[in-house]
Amino acid sequence: MYGNWGKFLRVNLSTGEVKVEEYEEELAKKWLGSRGLAIYFLLKEMDPKVDPLGPENKLILTPGPLSGTSAPTGGRYNVVTKSPATGFITMANSGGYFGAELKFAGWDGIIVEGKAEKPVYIYIKDEHVEIRDASHLWGKVVSETEEAIRKEIGSKKVRIALIGPAGENLVKFAAIMNDGHRAAGRAGVGAVMGSKNLKAIAVEGSKRVPIADKQKFMLTVREKINKLKNDPVAGGGLPNYGTAVLVNIINENGLYPTRNFQTGVFEHAYEQSGEAMAKKYLIRNQPCYACPIGCGRVNKLPTVGVTEGPEYESTWAFGANLGINDLASIIEANHQCDEFGLDTISTGGTLATAMELYEKGYLTDEELGDAPPFRWGNTEVLHYYIEKIAYRKDFGDKLAEGGYRLAESYGHPEYSMSVKKLELPAYDPRGAEGHGLGYATNNRGGCHIKNYMISPEILGYPYKMDPHDISDDKVKMLIIFQDLSALIDAAGLCLFTTFGLGADDYRDMLNAALGWDFTTEDYLKIGERIWNAERLFNLKAGLVPERDDTLPKRFLEEPMPEGPNKGHVVRLKEMLPRYYKLRGWTEDGRIPKEKAEELGIAEFL
Amino acid sequence: MLRVHFKVVYVLVKLFATLIEFTGKRKLEISGPKTVRELLDELERTFPGFKKELEKGHIILVNGKNIEHLQGLDTPLKDDDTVSIFPPAGGG
Ligand code: SF4
Repeated sequence: MYGNWGKFLRVNLSTGEVKVEEYEEELAKKWLGSRGLAIYFLLKEMDPKVDPLGPENKLILTPGPLSGTSAPTGGRYNVVTKSPATGFITMANSGGYFGAELKFAGWDGIIVEGKAEKPVYIYIKDEHVEIRDASHLWGKVVSETEEAIRKEIGSKKVRIALIGPAGENLVKFAAIMNDGHRAAGRAGVGAVMGSKNLKAIAVEGSKRVPIADKQKFMLTVREKINKLKNDPVAGGGLPNYGTAVLVNIINENGLYPTRNFQTGVFEHAYEQSGEAMAKKYLIRNQPCYACPIGCGRVNKLPTVGVTEGPEYESTWAFGANLGINDLASIIEANHQCDEFGLDTISTGGTLATAMELYEKGYLTDEELGDAPPFRWGNTEVLHYYIEKIAYRKDFGDKLAEGGYRLAESYGHPEYSMSVKKLELPAYDPRGAEGHGLGYATNNRGGCHIKNYMISPEILGYPYKMDPHDISDDKVKMLIIFQDLSALIDAAGLCLFTTFGLGADDYRDMLNAALGWDFTTEDYLKIGERIWNAERLFNLKAGLVPERDDTLPKRFLEEPMPEGPNKGHVVRLKEMLPRYYKLRGWTEDGRIPKEKAEELGIAEFL
Repeated sequence: MLRVHFKVVYVLVKLFATLIEFTGKRKLEISGPKTVRELLDELERTFPGFKKELEKGHIILVNGKNIEHLQGLDTPLKDDDTVSIFPPAGGG
């Protein structure tokens, strides 16, 4: 087998048993790897109804067949598990170097099962696997933990994925961090790791990923790297300004969510844009493994010193969405979240919900006592509550449940801007309706990255579509984006490569590496299979389409109050039935037997 | 005395990313152009090479609406319109 090793490591923390899970190439031909194989294992082995924070839930960390190769951005891995935030599947993706290192050690992934009696970490050096005591690391922030493990192992080469205090304290939106500031962020994967008493996974590898046709692979990789380097976005906008180059674009287009999505234009956008950051704080950009793009930011501040980030989403989460105009505080908040191991989008989204509850008078000074009031623009909120959330202290305990549960506890869930209880990222769907349909149908809830319709609707990739067009063409484009994203995740590459590469380019690299002669359609079929399998998992976990495939009331009923999208809502009701139909699902959003058979997943029905 | 009133169109132009570096300006007011095409010609006169900066792609908005869905470069401009011009960009 090429690309993949055909081997997963299975570690049961309840029993301490370590096993090798081997699989045949046929399985890779069906699921490709990573996000694909992970959903296959979960459907096969686990009841989707399990308690996400119970020992029965499985946590899978898995790079793809192109991870650890010279393919551009081949350093990614996915964390796939049942989310404690949504109660559905989540596949959080991260860059850095950890994913590639796991491949160098000879593994396509780790399946973590059960729950350790006391805190532990897993140390992997090629075939050698140890479960080590981590009691002395429990409670430590991310940078301290990394440093301590590195010292203990006595190797600079070791790569570590780990949780901070937020994961230990089962914060519903705790992240798994790796290589300092890279995060598998969304939907509480860090809490699942914490529930297993697993502080970290440290890996060192010495192998080379086997490639079927080395010569051809080298040539095709070179060609794709050139494409990326010559692309004005992948080779210019992203390295120069980072993802926060979007701040002005999204704001000028009138869909930059401001004050918990009450409007789509923020008066101080420029001051916290990628342009402003580059001028004020940027030292250099920072690539992940084998990445010719290098969108990562290295900033320097007097308070926290040298730090990485923030990305576009984080800049927004702590800025416009809270009405905050203070770039230094935003960068500091991002740094804090990285140290505690918190997802920035959900942290900001939850604080925004608290602010609106406060504005509307449901959350009062009386309840908060001496703690800072949740007033729009109050930077104190960032510095004070982020730490409280991570340790579940005082009001932080309520916030740690996420925005939806917080708003619900005051009898007003409508103030949580979330889908399937996952906080939404930085695009108001009233300014990009296809993106809104994406939010409503995304398998992990309020997520942008697995169906980035902002590309066609706002940025013009692969071509420009009207953000308020809701024809079948739009719905079809969304389906292609969802399936293609699943494929790229399964391959082990970064979704930002889509700014320079098309579906055929992924086919070329995969065929050369794996030794297959698949067509582009064959690969997209794998993407479709993965998307459907995840949907099936969700349906079995209790997803009710008519209740869960929806958006916050604000987007359906409150027209955008100002700016270029003034007067618009999302016409979800007009799109959703056509989405189900074009997916080949039943009218009520379920997967019929014929579709499951066509995709070869009927065994899981 | 004879007075002639000319109706002069003033538009606010906002520039972003590399275009700020290229022109040294974030915002400027331009008088005269009746369409986006005329505006770009004017910018080219003031900043030679400006159009070349947009060759690899661009996003042009008139009052927040993409000209692709208006009348492209022939989109008419009127007094007090805001035109935002971006070089190609992406993220997520
Ligand atoms: S584009 Fe950015 S996030 Fe993606 S691999 Fe490169 S540096 Fe990492």
